[in-house]
Amino acid sequence: MKFDPMEIADLKAELERLHSASFGWALSCCRRDATEAEEVLQTVYLKILEGKARFRGESSLKTWLFAVIRKTAATEYRRRLLRSFRLTADPDEVDDRVSPFENQSETFERSEAQMHFQSALKELPRRQREALHLVFYEDLSLREAADVMGVSIGSARQHYERGKKKLRESLARLEMGYGNNWGRQETSRAV
Amino acid sequence: MEIIGDDKKLRALFSEAQTVDAAATPSFTSVWHRAQARSLKPGRAFNLSFALVTALLVLTLGSLALWSAYSHRGTVRNDAAGNHPQPASGVQPNQQTKEENTTAAVNTGNRPVFPVPGSIHRSVKPRVKRSSAAVEQQLVASTKTTARETTIETWQSPTSALLTSPTDGLFKSVPQLNENANEMKSFLPGRSNEKEK
Repeated sequence: MKFDPMEIADLKAELERLHSASFGWALSCCRRDATEAEEVLQTVYLKILEGKARFRGESSLKTWLFAVIRKTAATEYRRRLLRSFRLTADPDEVDDRVSPFENQSETFERSEAQMHFQSALKELPRRQREALHLVFYEDLSLREAADVMGVSIGSARQHYERGKKKLRESLARLEMGYGNNWGRQETSRAV
Repeated sequence: MEIIGDDKKLRALFSEAQTVDAAATPSFTSVWHRAQARSLKPGRAFNLSFALVTALLVLTLGSLALWSAYSHRGTVRNDAAGNHPQPASGVQPNQQTKEENTTAAVNTGNRPVFPVPGSIHRSVKPRVKRSSAAVEQQLVASTKTTARETTIETWQSPTSALLTSPTDGLFKSVPQLNENANEMKSFLPGRSNEKEK
């Protein structure tokens, strides 16, 4: 079942407004792989165009769209995993895929804090990372985050609190490690 | 750098990440148009794996149905063979089928019914062989059972010979009262002397 042209036009405008946030969420769902995130977003739009994903107004459009992105990303990840298992004989094909975002991010020379932050974020369990991203990055409430994640609000709160605690701990650890390392380098140079 | 702190610092880090991501975000129109192009593409007529699985399933079901039909026919023929007298052992099944054909031709009139060189006789041949073999097996089994019955009837315990003795005749026979009394009188000398006196 497809949308009406008018309906599609309205939806397109809304999707365009949310495109940047959607891409950020897709990035988070795809472990910061920009190529994969773009493909996921494309598949989501395709689903909307074909009427496979339909907004029924049960929640906000943003929440619904993010839930669709999350589900699609999980499906795509599973597919990629299967494909990589099949292509294990030709490992170049699997590992040759270089994320332009990663290169870009490297060329951007992110701040030290941002680098530490990203690596600390990667260490978190998926649910905790999602909860933190939805609340801090996308400015969603915990209820909305729970809707997107498909869990109860209590569970979402738990993921959020635990994630925050772990993130702070790992950031502190990384900072300390970096400081020690840096200190050692300084001393070796001095010697 | 002081990272450990309240949510504001985490929020600041996330917003920094947001600005980096915003710079790398592909344009909406390009993603949308690509999605539209994909939606306009005719989808695959069939999924290869699905088709393979379906074909395999159909083949399995078909072979199962064929097997069940043949086995049913085989049992019916065996029953029929059990009712009719069996041909002599020297007669081959092929010959038998030929004879049947000729008799059928005679019965139908002058129109002879030729055997179709297709599937019928190819399928019948192994059936006939199988039925004759089954009959032979049944015969062998029946002879075995009768032999067993006879051996059971004539069976004797190996220790029965030990229970016999030479005085079995005396112990097992009942003496006749009158005859024995007279015979005994002859053996008793005292009584005979009294009579003589």
